Amino acid sequence: MDVYLQTLLSGLAIGGVYALIALGFSITFTTTKTLNFAQGEFIAFGAFIGVTMLLLFSGLASTTTAVPSEAASAWRYPAAVIAAGAVAGLMGVLIFLLAVRPFAGKGGMNWVMSTLGFGVMLQSIGLAVWGPAPVMVPSPLGDDVLRIAGAGVRPQELLVLACAILIMVALDLVMRRSRIGKAMMAVAHSPQIASLMGINVGLVMIGAFALSSGLAGVAGVLIAPIASASLFMGIGFALKAFSAAIIGGLNNPRGCIYGGFILGVLESAVGLWQAQWREIVVFGLIILVLAFRPAGLFGQAAVDKV
Amino acid sequence: MMPNRTALKAALLGSALAMSSAAFAQEIKIGFNGDLSASPSAQSGQAGVLGIQAAIEDINAAGGVLGRKLTLVVRDDLSQPPKSIQNMSDLIDNEKVVAVLGPTNSGNALAWKHIPNQKKNPSIGCIGSATDITKPATANAENYMYRVSMVDRAQVAGLIAYTKNNPAIKNVGFLVETTGYGQGGLKDLQELAEAKGLKPVATEKFGVNDTDMTSQLNKMKSAGADAVLVWAQGTPIAQLVRSMEKINYFPVTLTSWAADNASFFDTAGKALAEKPIFMRTITEDRTPKQQQLFDRLAPKMASKSAFSFAAHCYDALMITAAAIKQAGSTEGPKMREALDNLQAPVEGIMKTYNKPFSASEHEALTAADYRWTHWKDGKLVTYTDDVVKALKPTDFTQ
Repeated sequence: MDVYLQTLLSGLAIGGVYALIALGFSITFTTTKTLNFAQGEFIAFGAFIGVTMLLLFSGLASTTTAVPSEAASAWRYPAAVIAAGAVAGLMGVLIFLLAVRPFAGKGGMNWVMSTLGFGVMLQSIGLAVWGPAPVMVPSPLGDDVLRIAGAGVRPQELLVLACAILIMVALDLVMRRSRIGKAMMAVAHSPQIASLMGINVGLVMIGAFALSSGLAGVAGVLIAPIASASLFMGIGFALKAFSAAIIGGLNNPRGCIYGGFILGVLESAVGLWQAQWREIVVFGLIILVLAFRPAGLFGQAAVDKV
Repeated sequence: MMPNRTALKAALLGSALAMSSAAFAQEIKIGFNGDLSASPSAQSGQAGVLGIQAAIEDINAAGGVLGRKLTLVVRDDLSQPPKSIQNMSDLIDNEKVVAVLGPTNSGNALAWKHIPNQKKNPSIGCIGSATDITKPATANAENYMYRVSMVDRAQVAGLIAYTKNNPAIKNVGFLVETTGYGQGGLKDLQELAEAKGLKPVATEKFGVNDTDMTSQLNKMKSAGADAVLVWAQGTPIAQLVRSMEKINYFPVTLTSWAADNASFFDTAGKALAEKPIFMRTITEDRTPKQQQLFDRLAPKMASKSAFSFAAHCYDALMITAAAIKQAGSTEGPKMREALDNLQAPVEGIMKTYNKPFSASEHEALTAADYRWTHWKDGKLVTYTDDVVKALKPTDFTQ
């Protein structure tokens, strides 16, 4: 029994990370019909901004491969999360202005290459500043295993899960209740009509990229105490999160969240059977979903009216 | 790819000239080709170069070899195989080095091991540990690939011997990562276990970036494994012991030497880092000779745990010099003959080498030279228990 509970808990913990990043993909896709393929580098960049902030706030020196655990205590960790989100959000504005807007809405796939390229640049800058070695980041809640009915989980994994759910609920409320959210949904529905209604479409799109990249930055700092911060950490997470978004439905933010959790638990459950078959099962599922429900499990099929 | 191919052709044409003209040079050039800047293993490459430089200083201070001074030509391969191949041609054809030491990454040695054989220019590995690096191309082919470092297969032989000779271990499981490194290790584990009549109760795999291996460990646990043999890089081994704590399952854990990385220690945390037992060539209980070299290089060494590579590379250079001396020449074929049959013992940092190589054996260090190691209070120290004490060299046969 506790084996299954362990599988579920481990799956939900990693699924929360996928969901958070998948949500970022969904936000830019619904508002601009483009995706930020540098999302993985934003995660890694965010994690290292977090590392830098922790060291800056605490005034402690880092060894080459670890941040001392006192650096994450009290207000410092939340502050580092917010700072990383803000810096990554600013980078998101930059990527939109430089690599997406010149190509968005013009047909063709130029923005795919330009966002990928932006990611490569970001990684190279990161390597020059922080070097290639992974850095272990301490969790603000300590590292002792918590036992829930016989299953073990680390405090940081619960923190990631809680933060993911909190951020997602808050965003859901903003999107559905506030004027900004309604403006975003209007732009998602049709930029032309939204523009005629007096909505500043350009600004909404910039906001969408800032939000999406900010989420990636936040995710980076949240994952760092689990996976350690590395400039190569993001690509794996981003690919899985993109898969989650496809499974859940790219045009449905809630669907992306469900997709993230489904993927996390599925991975963990397949590990209980044959771990080396995990990727095959995950990507097999994606092909199945695309074949039978092209808009994703929770997406609405878009009908193009001619 | 075109420039490389033309470079290679030009290189092949020029190789005969290279051999003859090198002999007229005043100084004897030795090459180093390996990663010095691009990957986490670059620290090992940097330590290796420090070791070679120290050895060259010592030899030159004693009058050089054949009355000529040694010099080192260093090439960084940025851990990229194409760059590493290019460096080999550059070193042998343009710089006319008489032997190449390195590389840092096993994969790069495997990418260019045909070059030293074609150009008849000895290569003495002192960092990378992949088993196949020193294997001849065909059974009786002339082999110019030598090594003074750990060998994956010999480590596996050690881990299997420990498992086999520990009466407390009833069931053993294999845990490996899904990379080429992990799969190579699994092949060695399976072959040597079968040869020794050891049958694993379970074999599980995990990704190199996985952060939770509880599913795999739960399967190990239900299969009744009381020992696990792990072949993976430092960080995933750390995630594995962290997952062990989650399900409170701590079998005897024997791992690849990657557990000596600082990144393993930092990710696992101080207490969990003490769980794995592994083999290494040097621990912090150094011999006086090792301590002497350590003190000499410590100010310049970025990572103290990479010191073993400085020692290996120091010895590799000493053995190379001894071969030149015995051959009375820097011609590749003569050096190979001398290396395969070194008469005088070579005083090294690791040990005194008595006939380190033969026509069929190109490994200077074997399992009997390795030391059982574990982390204790943040230090890599010698591990010992009754099983280790009772192990005999014959237990390590491959």
